[in-house]
Amino acid sequence: MIEAFLLAMRQLRTKKVRTLLILLGISVGVAAVVGVTSLGEGIRVNAVGEIEKSHDLTLIEVSPGVSNGNIILITESKVRAVSEYGSVVAPYTKDDYVTPNKTYFKANGISAQYMDAKDLKLEAGMWLEEGTYQIVLGSDIGEKFAKIEGAEIGNTIDARIRLYGEEGRATDKDVTFMIVGRLKPTGTDTDDQAFMDMNIARELTGKDVYDGIMVKLDKSGQTPAARTAIEKLGLTCYSAQDEIDSVNKIMNAVTLVLAFFSSISLIVGGLMIINTMIVSVYERTHEIGITKAIGASELDIIRMFLSECIIIGVLGGILGDLLGVMFSFLIDSVGRPMLVAQLGIADFEHLTVINIQILAAGFLISLVISVIAGIYPAWRGAKLDPVKALRQL
Amino acid sequence: MCMVKTRGLSKYYTFGSGNQVVALKGVNLTVESGEFVSIMGPSGSGKSTLLNIIGCLDKPTAGDVYIDDVKIDYGNAGNLVQLHRQTMGFVFQGFNLISTMNAIENVWYPMYFNKVPKPERIKRAEELLESVGLRDRTLHLPSELSGGEQQRVSIARALANRPRLILADEPTGNIDSRTGKKIIDLMKKLNKEQGITFIVTTHDKAMANNADRVITITDGEIVD
Repeated sequence: MIEAFLLAMRQLRTKKVRTLLILLGISVGVAAVVGVTSLGEGIRVNAVGEIEKSHDLTLIEVSPGVSNGNIILITESKVRAVSEYGSVVAPYTKDDYVTPNKTYFKANGISAQYMDAKDLKLEAGMWLEEGTYQIVLGSDIGEKFAKIEGAEIGNTIDARIRLYGEEGRATDKDVTFMIVGRLKPTGTDTDDQAFMDMNIARELTGKDVYDGIMVKLDKSGQTPAARTAIEKLGLTCYSAQDEIDSVNKIMNAVTLVLAFFSSISLIVGGLMIINTMIVSVYERTHEIGITKAIGASELDIIRMFLSECIIIGVLGGILGDLLGVMFSFLIDSVGRPMLVAQLGIADFEHLTVINIQILAAGFLISLVISVIAGIYPAWRGAKLDPVKALRQL
Repeated sequence: MCMVKTRGLSKYYTFGSGNQVVALKGVNLTVESGEFVSIMGPSGSGKSTLLNIIGCLDKPTAGDVYIDDVKIDYGNAGNLVQLHRQTMGFVFQGFNLISTMNAIENVWYPMYFNKVPKPERIKRAEELLESVGLRDRTLHLPSELSGGEQQRVSIARALANRPRLILADEPTGNIDSRTGKKIIDLMKKLNKEQGITFIVTTHDKAMANNADRVITITDGEIVD
């Protein structure tokens, strides 16, 4: 087999220019696919990196679920069941309040565990004391209160909550909160929320269930298993992994489409190989006649031509990967400054990402296309009538 | 023992226009093992066709060929390949060496297809080139050799897999008579010393004179 490749290598060397052109043809196609895929991969990696930076991957947010048309509420027993899966498990309530000046806000009734789970950090003031009507504000809502209500840390604020009785009749309840602290901005919905003591919140609303549970895990690797277990209880889960998954899904689709269009150049490369190989079979008709007369089988002839195609595929793959890396580098060095200038995003390192899978895929594509392109010419060569082939000079 | 036997061997060529040309008409030929048979006849008489069919390069339209008393199954490609690899060798008028390979490579090429290990192949190719007097030409390309030398390389190649039958199609047709004489002597020597059966088509009287038997073909039929 090695000798078949050596002989094929020699055959290719006798037609250097042609071989070089064919290699260039296939490798430009591979380079296009590698470059474009590296761009898609780069965008994906950057987007996932952004999500990972602003989200806690070890956090699962559990909310009531729906199973067989029934709403599964978060009862005490559910909280106990969930608590097996996380290192910190913090149930909370979530209610809507409105101020006399018609500022609507959400207040979460929380416990100390909740602050640990969400890793909330104070910017000013202090934490609320349990069993009191003190509240801590998210950064945005804090700003809003200061502007609209003129209520800063240390001030009180009136709020009204509307409760619905069992017959659906609404009753309003007024309450006065004391603002004791303001959180650092997080860039998440925490900024729009106020936080109060959970027991006070439940007392106000009379709820015997929770609106959600924050589940904190030790390692992000535990998230999928914990999530599956909690979902088995009939509850709904959300984690930043969901966003990463959807980014991955979208970018895979985008990359696939881009790679598909850039692979059109590969089809051209493949046709080039078919064409060159057919010419080669035609030119070597006489030689094929001789080899058949001296004992070559049809399979030997096919092997002869396919060996050449495999060499073209391997060299084309390597060259294509090299050109692809260069192309990707070019996209990065030209595209990144442009994106930074256009979008003002400055904190990503590279626009393109090359990994071993992309390079392996480029190499394999080259090999597979070369071999497929060689099948028909090789078969034609193998099927030549030896008498006619010998007569041709 | 009977090396080659043909029974009722016929070959017609049908062209697109519907015209049919008869190349061979019911040829019955028997060649004994170790015989040197010369086939003569004018151009287009069918002698090359006969040789190609015996050599399994072409298929007969009707009739059978027996090699070592075994009927050739022309539909069995694997069988034909084995005959090429083990039983027979070819020598052509136009030498038919592979132009990109040097003399020794041309000689070991049939052994390559016969799966002979490389060192053994090279050793035998060297011996064969030596036996045809081309020991110092092993690394020359066909284009660097004279017609006579090329034909000797092709005889060495035909001998590569130790065949018992050599089919030669006008082996002296493209070389001058003095060189042709050497080729004839070489073939005679192989026939005498190694007992290889030769079937040689020729126009060359000198070749015919050296044969054990001369068969004449005209219009696809053997004329006694």
